[in-house]
Amino acid sequence: MRRKKIFRAMSLLLVLLLLSSAGFILSGCGDRVQAGSTGKAQDSSGGEVIRVAKQFGLVYAPLMVAEKKEFFSKYGLKVEWVTLGSGGAVREAMASGKLDAAFMGIPPFLIGWDKGLPAKIAAGYTVSPVQLVTYDQNIKGIKDFRPEHKIALPSPGSVQHILLAMALEKELGDPKALDDNLVALPHPDGTQAMLAKKDVVAHFTTPPYLFEELAQPGYRVVLDGFEAFGGEFNFNVLLVTKDYHDRHPAGYAAFIMGLNDAMNWLNEHKMEAAELLAPEFKIEKEKLYRYLTSEGLNFTTAPYGLLGFAEFMKKAGYISKVPRDLSEIAWENVLAVVGKREGEPCQLEKMQLPR
Amino acid sequence: MKTMLSKVAFILSLAVLWETVRIAGGYSELLLPGLLSVASSFWAERAELLKNALFSLRIIGTGLSTAVALAMLLTLLCMNGRLFPGVITDIMAIMHPLPGIAILPVAILWFGIGVKSVLFVIVFSAVWPLANHFYTGFRSIPRNQLEIGRNLGLSGLKLALSVMLPASFPHILGGLRSGWARAWQASVAAELVFGAAGGQGGLGWYLYKKRFMMETPGVFAGMLVIIAIGLVVEYLIFTTVENLTVRKWKVVAD
Repeated sequence: MRRKKIFRAMSLLLVLLLLSSAGFILSGCGDRVQAGSTGKAQDSSGGEVIRVAKQFGLVYAPLMVAEKKEFFSKYGLKVEWVTLGSGGAVREAMASGKLDAAFMGIPPFLIGWDKGLPAKIAAGYTVSPVQLVTYDQNIKGIKDFRPEHKIALPSPGSVQHILLAMALEKELGDPKALDDNLVALPHPDGTQAMLAKKDVVAHFTTPPYLFEELAQPGYRVVLDGFEAFGGEFNFNVLLVTKDYHDRHPAGYAAFIMGLNDAMNWLNEHKMEAAELLAPEFKIEKEKLYRYLTSEGLNFTTAPYGLLGFAEFMKKAGYISKVPRDLSEIAWENVLAVVGKREGEPCQLEKMQLPR
Repeated sequence: MKTMLSKVAFILSLAVLWETVRIAGGYSELLLPGLLSVASSFWAERAELLKNALFSLRIIGTGLSTAVALAMLLTLLCMNGRLFPGVITDIMAIMHPLPGIAILPVAILWFGIGVKSVLFVIVFSAVWPLANHFYTGFRSIPRNQLEIGRNLGLSGLKLALSVMLPASFPHILGGLRSGWARAWQASVAAELVFGAAGGQGGLGWYLYKKRFMMETPGVFAGMLVIIAIGLVVEYLIFTTVENLTVRKWKVVAD
């Protein structure tokens, strides 16, 4: 009996020990973040360092250009690229201080912002077509989807999901009408499923996956992202954490400048860029050139439609509040570009608002 | 009653520790949500949680019973034959360490995206530990017990049911326990990787959705439901079965 009691006390003690060590690990992370952003953000030569999430796809061409042409190191900035599995992981890494900057769609950022993610928009990042493609000849519009028709898109809460919800609200009055039809698949897997005509009948995607699917006979667009949104919007935005923005103004400025240089160089030298990046994308340079010069793709850091998703997302219940003005979600360089006209809002201000 | 009380006290002290760590560490809701927000998220989402939990239980039940049948078949083949034991134990040795989730890519290729793939992963995850335990159980039946049974004139099914089954039951129960655990792991992991097809999803899909909506309290609520189901099954089902069988038969020590 007594031995049992001792045993019980010992095991309780062990559990408490384990739990408190878990607590230490958590708080240890916090310490390391502090140390990381002060100590690690300068390399041995005293230059700034920024940790950025790297992703794949055609819209990341400017970042590859920036690396190859050394547009970041020109400003004394060393970029540490971090590869993460999904947009969800990118947001979590930012929240826990493992990342200083990332590229993300406006809706996933707004979800993070709503939940207190300490980051704001530091630049727009490309405007790109995003379209819902199908091979089923009976599906002429989004109201033709039946319960057995599965639609692939990257994840719940992604820009594709919100665009679909916006279109559904306009046409059927219910933004969640097709939520039960959704399959969360990364772009390449979605394209594979579409080309095999297996599992899914439609795929909401972006170039180059979009072009590959539309090049097949019988594959067509059911829904256009710009139409659903009612205007143009940044496919991604550059997010920088509050911590990095506040503590490393030089690194912040260098990253923005390098990005601007890369966008500009890409726009001026598309043929050269295609040659430079063809091995990276593992496609022929002619094909890449066709992709880079395709209709609707705009390599720009200008802000487009930053506030356009918020109101709809609140109404549909994806977020709980709407930013009162741009300053709640964007850093000062973006605010300065947009400006603040006395009286009626100016063109650039209107471009950020929903239509 | 006393054990009940000590369990409640233990859970309460865990809750206090959670809140202390959270408040002392000053964590944001994104990293470590408070118990209250987890509770309110649980309450607000109770209908969906129930739907997802039932779906998980249904698919795990189907997968686990298929795995049990398959494991029984494998064991019987092992027990009655000359060629089979070597081959099957080799297969078990190869397959057992392979995590079920590792075959998900293959499952998707073969069965597509959806319930069938998840089921395949569950069956695969559960069948090897089950077969392993069953086989060990049958092999470790004391020879003299079998002989006594035969001397009493038992044979075939009767011998299997009244001597072999009780003698190997502790192992069978152990196999069911680890099969159940592996089935849960497999179903949640598979749904976390590719989400779910359509509205049909279990608790893994729930966690996935909550993660993408950055609702950390919801993620914790989902995890607590998984833990609660595990506890209920352990204490209500496995322990009861154990008390009614092996403890009653005195096959294992109390």
